[in-house]
Amino acid sequence: MKRAALLVVGALAISLICLGISMAADPIKVGVVLPLTGEQAKFGEIEKNSFLMCLEEINKAGGIKGRPIELLIEDDTGKPDVGRSAVEKLISQDKVVVLSGGYSSSVTYAMCAVAQQRKIPFLVTTGSADKITEQGWDYVFRLNPPVSEYPQALESFMKEVAKTQSVAILHENTLFGQSGSKEFAALCETAGVKVLMKEGYEAGAVDFKPLLVKVKAAKPDMVYMISYIMDAALLMRQSKELEFNPKLFVGGGAGFTLPEFAKNAGDAADDVFSADLWSPKVPYPGAQEYFDNYGKKFGSPTEYHGAEAYASMQVLADVLKRAKDLTPAGVREAMLVTDMKTVFGPVKFIAYGKKKQQNQLPTYLVQWQKGTLETVWPKSVATKPYVYPILPWAEKKK
Amino acid sequence: MEVFLQTLVAGILKGGLYALIGIGMTLIMGVMGIINLAHGQMMMVAMYITYVFFHYIGLDPYATLLISMPSLFLLGVFIQMFLLNPLMKVESILPENQVLMTVGIGMVLTEIARFIFTSNYLSVKTSYSTAAIHIGGISFSVALMIAFIFACSLTVGLFVFLIKTDLGRSIRAVSQDGEAAEIMGINAEQIKIVTMGLGAALVAAAGSLLLPIYYLFPDIGGPFTRKAFVITILGGLGSTVGAIFGGVALGLAEAFGATYIGMDFEDMIGLILFLLVLIFIPGGFKRLTKV
Repeated sequence: MKRAALLVVGALAISLICLGISMAADPIKVGVVLPLTGEQAKFGEIEKNSFLMCLEEINKAGGIKGRPIELLIEDDTGKPDVGRSAVEKLISQDKVVVLSGGYSSSVTYAMCAVAQQRKIPFLVTTGSADKITEQGWDYVFRLNPPVSEYPQALESFMKEVAKTQSVAILHENTLFGQSGSKEFAALCETAGVKVLMKEGYEAGAVDFKPLLVKVKAAKPDMVYMISYIMDAALLMRQSKELEFNPKLFVGGGAGFTLPEFAKNAGDAADDVFSADLWSPKVPYPGAQEYFDNYGKKFGSPTEYHGAEAYASMQVLADVLKRAKDLTPAGVREAMLVTDMKTVFGPVKFIAYGKKKQQNQLPTYLVQWQKGTLETVWPKSVATKPYVYPILPWAEKKK
Repeated sequence: MEVFLQTLVAGILKGGLYALIGIGMTLIMGVMGIINLAHGQMMMVAMYITYVFFHYIGLDPYATLLISMPSLFLLGVFIQMFLLNPLMKVESILPENQVLMTVGIGMVLTEIARFIFTSNYLSVKTSYSTAAIHIGGISFSVALMIAFIFACSLTVGLFVFLIKTDLGRSIRAVSQDGEAAEIMGINAEQIKIVTMGLGAALVAAAGSLLLPIYYLFPDIGGPFTRKAFVITILGGLGSTVGAIFGGVALGLAEAFGATYIGMDFEDMIGLILFLLVLIFIPGGFKRLTKV
């Protein structure tokens, strides 16, 4: 990771020379922790690219009061203990004034605890388990909505279009999966939708068929799945194999919105819905531009995780610009009164329910149609009309 | 009833593949007296070979068996000749320092794979990856059935080899009593080299057969090493017949556990079975069959 940091410094130095900005300006150090290796590396990569893309633009435009920002990016490898020590290192050794990143919920939770203890503000990019902002931690801010709010758009779709009567919930048994499934079950019950079953599974399983057979026998209208990419792909491939035909397959974000999901699931991904937090068509300034630029620069499409990272960098720049003094306490003060527009949506840290310093955003429903991810609900931002009801597998064969 | 039958079918089909993974390990265990903790990682290497040939040349994963098995045979031979055999001659505090060596080999293989292919998830999609035959409401996955048939025929082939050929007899002799075999004029060192290659080739077959229905990334080896270890213990160390029973038993236990207890406990169920066997039939299924 030292190397990556060195590279960033190197790139910064070169761009500074090119722009002819005085080299005397000391960079402002910001720590970012993401999973760059291990099973979640794919998400970490998109987020890292987006962070750096935004950073480049900010520094090109003169940085913060003439000083460039320097990102120190550390790898948490998807493990809470590694994340913890990465944060410790960034605080004690690198003396960063503010922290960001945080992909997996379990890792983010562990890192935020350290940040709170050491009184360094932490802007959470993705980690979405509800309890992260429910601890009363006053140094933890969260940009993305908590996992319980992911299915907002889905809820109205279920009510207005699908008229869903019963659901089966499948989730990986991690903090993210358990938190999400519990909240979704509660949401269904208040909406009068019967929850037929709620089953966990261990990530990385070879054969989901025993589980799927059980779900199939319960005959739910809809299956809601909280999974990362490869489990998501296998769940869909094996549902197809079993000719399991509920009226709706819905993913709860995470794995279901990545291009890798469609690549690995093949035609079994067609017509699968997913909760989503972002689409290039959202009416926020710079969203479409970010999407296009990312595709041009990295040759592969970005999605909501990338937008979260890009927006985190925008917020950080805005906060550092407004901070009266560049100390952790000063940055926290400035972060508290954030009120700005990012590519990911308006950002404002508010307290509601049990949550504190949490940003609130609308969510969307997307659907895979012939290998592309289309936003289908709410209608105001739809890129394509939704396909519903979906055809049974047997009739889909061309 | 349908749920029960489907679970049974899923368990047996998966068990066939598990058996193939376990047989290689148990064969090595029998002859060398060590557990090969790089077994799953060797399978990972075979899967990458399969992937490369499928992706760049368009070769069917089943056809790549002809490439992955010989390549892994050579890898096994190389490992045994240059990494494990020399260790046997060295006096050390730990008599099983070869086991530690296999752990190291596993790590090196994983990191080499990460260096070449990065951590990305890869999968091969063939026309039969998600195809299934439906009989009376029960679905039989085509890819898993082909894998099952291959696994059975490879196992039968292995038995014929072990029972009928001179080399096979020598392997069994070394497995039963290495010193006695040496007195009878068998070159035990050479037999060990061949056995390691054979074990690696068998797990390579399992890898190539698994790829169409699963996916691939560098860290995939660990969980399968663990599974192979459980199967070997279930079957009784060194027993090839036992490994078949062990594989199918593990497949069934996982499938029924997933259906009737909960899929969150899939790994736990396998390990509970493992503990029960250790406590009640310490010799594994070998003791029940006496083969």
